[in-house]
Amino acid sequence: MKILKTSMAILCFGFFLLSCDKEKSITEPGNLVPKTVMEDPTIPSVNINGAKLHAQAFGPADSTLIVCLHGGPGANFRYMLNCKSLADKGYRVIFYDQRGSGLSQRFPGGWYKNQGAKAIEKTFYDDLKAILHHYKTHPNQKVVLLTQSWGSMLGTGYAGKYPDDIDGLILAEPGGLKWEDVLEYVGKTRSLGLWSETLNDAAYTDQFLTGKENQHEILDYKMAQLSAANTVVGDIKSTLGPNGIYYQSVRDGAVISSAMFEIGEKYKPDFSEQIARFQKKVLFFYSSNNKAYPDSWAQKIMLVYPNKDVFKVQGVGHSGMLDQIDTWTTVTEPKVLQYLNSL
Amino acid sequence: MKKVTIILIFIAFVFCLPKVNAQLINWNTMGSTQHIINANVGLDYSVSYGIGYGYKPNTKLPIIMDANFSMPSGKTLFDDFKTKIGGQMLLLDISNFRGALALYGMYRRQETELVRLQNFGSDMKATFGYYKSKWFVAAEAGFDKAVVTHFKHSQAFREKVYADVADGWYEPATGGNFSYGLQTGYSFKKTDLTLALGKRISQDFKTAPFLPLYVNLGLNYRLSYH
Repeated sequence: MKILKTSMAILCFGFFLLSCDKEKSITEPGNLVPKTVMEDPTIPSVNINGAKLHAQAFGPADSTLIVCLHGGPGANFRYMLNCKSLADKGYRVIFYDQRGSGLSQRFPGGWYKNQGAKAIEKTFYDDLKAILHHYKTHPNQKVVLLTQSWGSMLGTGYAGKYPDDIDGLILAEPGGLKWEDVLEYVGKTRSLGLWSETLNDAAYTDQFLTGKENQHEILDYKMAQLSAANTVVGDIKSTLGPNGIYYQSVRDGAVISSAMFEIGEKYKPDFSEQIARFQKKVLFFYSSNNKAYPDSWAQKIMLVYPNKDVFKVQGVGHSGMLDQIDTWTTVTEPKVLQYLNSL
Repeated sequence: MKKVTIILIFIAFVFCLPKVNAQLINWNTMGSTQHIINANVGLDYSVSYGIGYGYKPNTKLPIIMDANFSMPSGKTLFDDFKTKIGGQMLLLDISNFRGALALYGMYRRQETELVRLQNFGSDMKATFGYYKSKWFVAAEAGFDKAVVTHFKHSQAFREKVYADVADGWYEPATGGNFSYGLQTGYSFKKTDLTLALGKRISQDFKTAPFLPLYVNLGLNYRLSYH
């Protein structure tokens, strides 16, 4: 008994010493997730449609606009920063974190859901239109969308809806364009083995952390853990070289991600619905290492584009054609430049 | 200081109670039982395996004190685990209808490529059901609270995600999930085969965990008084 009491006293003293640091608040921006443009005014931003979006622009203001659309919904543009090299080739390259994503302003889930069937248009198409308006310096300035994953779905929808707004469309692995294809693709990318460490890493955390519906800091933090764990799509750590300094810490937007999934389930959007109206040439990339994106899937997805160049990038996964600087420099960028010159 | 208090209460809870397990109990077979050894497998936020030990002191009010250790599947052993220590008390006993309350203190740990989490929490569960000597069926409802959690992030997290992430103890309570479901069991000789299944929902009643269902298949072996 004496030994037990002594052990307890030592343990208690040990815990007391360990506990002397001040407890941190889990919902305080900057603790577990980086601050957004709303909390840190030094982050470059633009105000459009009542939202403050994290945005950066490089290259001569009057030249062809290359607008980069990131994946998600809810991801961020950091992994696309290698495309900044197009600014050195004379293009005006625009990056922005979509509403509720990356370091842009957060909105409650209800804000998106209350838009009903117009949610995708109000959230994404209107913001993209406003971004183009913000950065265009003259009416004849050409616009090209450089897109990846969800960004390619968004770009396809926008090109079909506003074919006269843009002059070129570069796509990289849109998961699906019709809702049932989106579900199938997402299902394949999240097919974690029941006994796997990956599933365990993703699911076991739920007993440590639960965020309420609009607790962005907690939900975004949990989403970052999940995003980093997806090995099916063949992605590895981004290599951005010197471009990484333009966006050092990332944050996912969990609320917009789940809200958009709910909206998709309800309204079953088809992003390719009007793409036949866009007759200009499309450049379509896909990768060799994304197990959920075999040749057969790429062929199925690309069918809807009437006029296209297709290129399979070897040795990389879902984002690798953009986020691996060597691949970007030696493979993707030359193809992109060739395409831009052809417009 | 609040965290210190919580930790001290937890330590007192752990050391002051004789050890038992979080297993499912057929209260109708407890008569002269003194020790219960348990093994279980199931879906508990992840596929997990557990062992437990229960002790039933000779008290007027039936009490079982138990300790349980469980580990999820995965390629790395002991990077994630959960320990629960506490007790179950029979509060209602009318004919074959029984109502019990279980209270546990918990320490759990998870380590991934990005972060190591350590948490002190509590788990409370109420059950009400119909118990016969050979079988039982009961409804259960519980609340699992992650009271205070320590975060220690890896270099990989700082490089890939957020360089300035703040390590340390986090409050207020970092998580909480309600659960509700059914439990049943079949008893023979000194053995109980038990099954619990149900659903979990987060404390805001709007969101659900990644794996919203739980299942637990257990085997109890009972040892009686001399």
